[in-house]
Amino acid sequence: MRTILKAFLFAGLFAVSCSAPRDGVELQLWNFGGLPGLIEWVRARADSFNATHQGIRVTQSQKSWNMIRELLYTNLSAGTGPDVMNVHANYAAEFGGAGFFYPINTFPDFEEVKSWFEPHLLESTRYGDNYYGLPSSAIAFTLVCNKQMFDAAGIAPPRTWSEFRRAAKRLTRDTDGDGTTDQWGLVLLGGDRGGFSYRFAPFLYKAGMNILSEDLKRVEFDSPMGVQTLQLFVDMHQIDRSITPGFLAYQHSEINDLFCSNKVAMSIEGPWFRPLVDQKSAGKEFYTVPVPVPDHLLSQYETLPTLQDMVMYTISAHTKHPNEAWELLKYFRTPEADKYWITEELGAVATTLEALNSPEAASKENLALYRHELRHARPWPPHPGIISIARNVITPWCQKAIVGEISAEEAMRGAAAEAQEILDGAQ
Amino acid sequence: MKRSTPYLLLLPALLFTVFVLVYPLLQNLLNSLHRVSLIRGTGDWIGLANYAKVFEDSVFWLAFQNTLLYASVGTLISLLVGLGFALLLNMKLGRITNVMGFVYTIPWVISPVVAGFAWKWLLNDNFGIINHWLISLGLTTEGITWLGDPTTALLCVIVARVWQFYPFAMVMFLAGLQAIPEEQYEAAAVDGASTPGKFFHITLPNLRSVTGVLLLLGLIWSFNDFNMVFVMTRGGPINASMVLPVLVREFSFVQFDLGKGSALSILIFGMLIALSLLYLKMISRREAS
Repeated sequence: MRTILKAFLFAGLFAVSCSAPRDGVELQLWNFGGLPGLIEWVRARADSFNATHQGIRVTQSQKSWNMIRELLYTNLSAGTGPDVMNVHANYAAEFGGAGFFYPINTFPDFEEVKSWFEPHLLESTRYGDNYYGLPSSAIAFTLVCNKQMFDAAGIAPPRTWSEFRRAAKRLTRDTDGDGTTDQWGLVLLGGDRGGFSYRFAPFLYKAGMNILSEDLKRVEFDSPMGVQTLQLFVDMHQIDRSITPGFLAYQHSEINDLFCSNKVAMSIEGPWFRPLVDQKSAGKEFYTVPVPVPDHLLSQYETLPTLQDMVMYTISAHTKHPNEAWELLKYFRTPEADKYWITEELGAVATTLEALNSPEAASKENLALYRHELRHARPWPPHPGIISIARNVITPWCQKAIVGEISAEEAMRGAAAEAQEILDGAQ
Repeated sequence: MKRSTPYLLLLPALLFTVFVLVYPLLQNLLNSLHRVSLIRGTGDWIGLANYAKVFEDSVFWLAFQNTLLYASVGTLISLLVGLGFALLLNMKLGRITNVMGFVYTIPWVISPVVAGFAWKWLLNDNFGIINHWLISLGLTTEGITWLGDPTTALLCVIVARVWQFYPFAMVMFLAGLQAIPEEQYEAAAVDGASTPGKFFHITLPNLRSVTGVLLLLGLIWSFNDFNMVFVMTRGGPINASMVLPVLVREFSFVQFDLGKGSALSILIFGMLIALSLLYLKMISRREAS
């Protein structure tokens, strides 16, 4: 028996020691999230890279977008994780600032690569003096209006806050006459704390507000205009009852179901909404318009910023092969690769000038609107603590006010005090 | 056999336990006493400051209160429901008993994550079947926002917890009922005892030790339960259904304050150790008797 065991052990060790060493460089690519079409494209692009780049082998893994921060924090802090990955551009401040992302402006051909992209989008990958990624896809937050419901009521998509409130109120109805409301004007993504703050921030920006001061040392969202912004939603929920009562529990899937079944008329969304809606109700029509502005700022309707969000491909600072990772990064973000965002419906906007100005781009649904909004849009302030402030501070305080636990003023004061603590702690 | 042989044979299991249990626990304890940032690494020794931060956090007290409610009310109701079904099954009504026994056990074998999602959709305010039934029966005029209302969210996760835990209680109670000697009931019948009398003076006293064990296990498992609450509400809305295990995740992987998260998990560990010691004491007393 002992002899047999020894033989097995030797055979195992022999097999391990004799396995052929892998030639060349191995790179790990992590792709977070994405619609099925995009996930397939990323796989195909990685295969194509392997076929065209001798001596470099890319292994691609698909990861959940919901786990992005947990995975990045745990892996990057342990010195593990991928060589190349796609992340939120605003992680440039948090992870780039902490030295976890590779400053790509150190590559000799960076200036040439830089010219591929819309300049203001590329700037979102920058923190301090360094650029930490190449833009992958951009998002501008807009208002989507259920065409069938708006047309039936004979109203146009709103441009101002008072029009927005009126439209929501008018579209909140008892459709079957049983005495209970079964259709609402607005739905909010209340069950996703990050998502909620991403829908509140566009209203702050459209009201001409800053989230933080220019030097990123002071909170500014609690000004009287910030309180008024929150008050708009408080009034819609508490007085008009035009926001779906169960919004605090809703994730994307519930919102999509409500919108597609004509139970809600408006939602604050981005370019991902078309493919999301098509999954439930292919071809369902809706208006996509800029987020409404306060009435007194109507003259600036075209130029007031919305929230910009962007995904970038970045290189881990732990990579042992920065030059090869840079080759992979460029391969994924060439203008030719970027055209896929134009020809397919992937839920975000292309970022290279060549793709955006291509003939195919002219016929892309809502692309002109998104490009216009993105030109004026602003990302979250580039502060390492901003995601924490958005998710863990702004959302819970604002939600408390909307459901009537506290006043809008108290909520903004409380949120500002907590956010200021985070800013002071970071200093 | 050499004297050291048993110890050598035990060594692999011991090393494994140390590696997967003791080491993480000690590391967690150390983290709870340091300023820890995943980005900046383990920082200064700060003594009990992380524990103080936990106690100063109002969400902790809310989560503690919710956890106590979730564990105690959930377990008590599960036990009552489980006992009820066990009594029904113990009536030995023929083949139907086996079929019902199987049906009642289904919630126990369903993964908590799957069960959580199922409950989430059952309770959906617009499309959920529960609201549909309530409206059809005229008990409410419009869909109740079960999971979106801070006053009902915790109640809903308790109901889901009861649904998942009662089959285990039922199986344990059924085993306990079947172990009660028939002679006791026969003697009581001879003495003219009524059915409630038999239940309170024979059945319940005989089930005392099973009830104790179930109560403790229910408390321990509910105290530890992360899946059901996380899937159904993530501790929301506005922390209304926040429980301690979900709060550990919140501190550690949402706020990325690993020191505070570790401190809270050590506190939960302490509470669970106390409950486990009680359980072990109860088991040993039961075996002795």
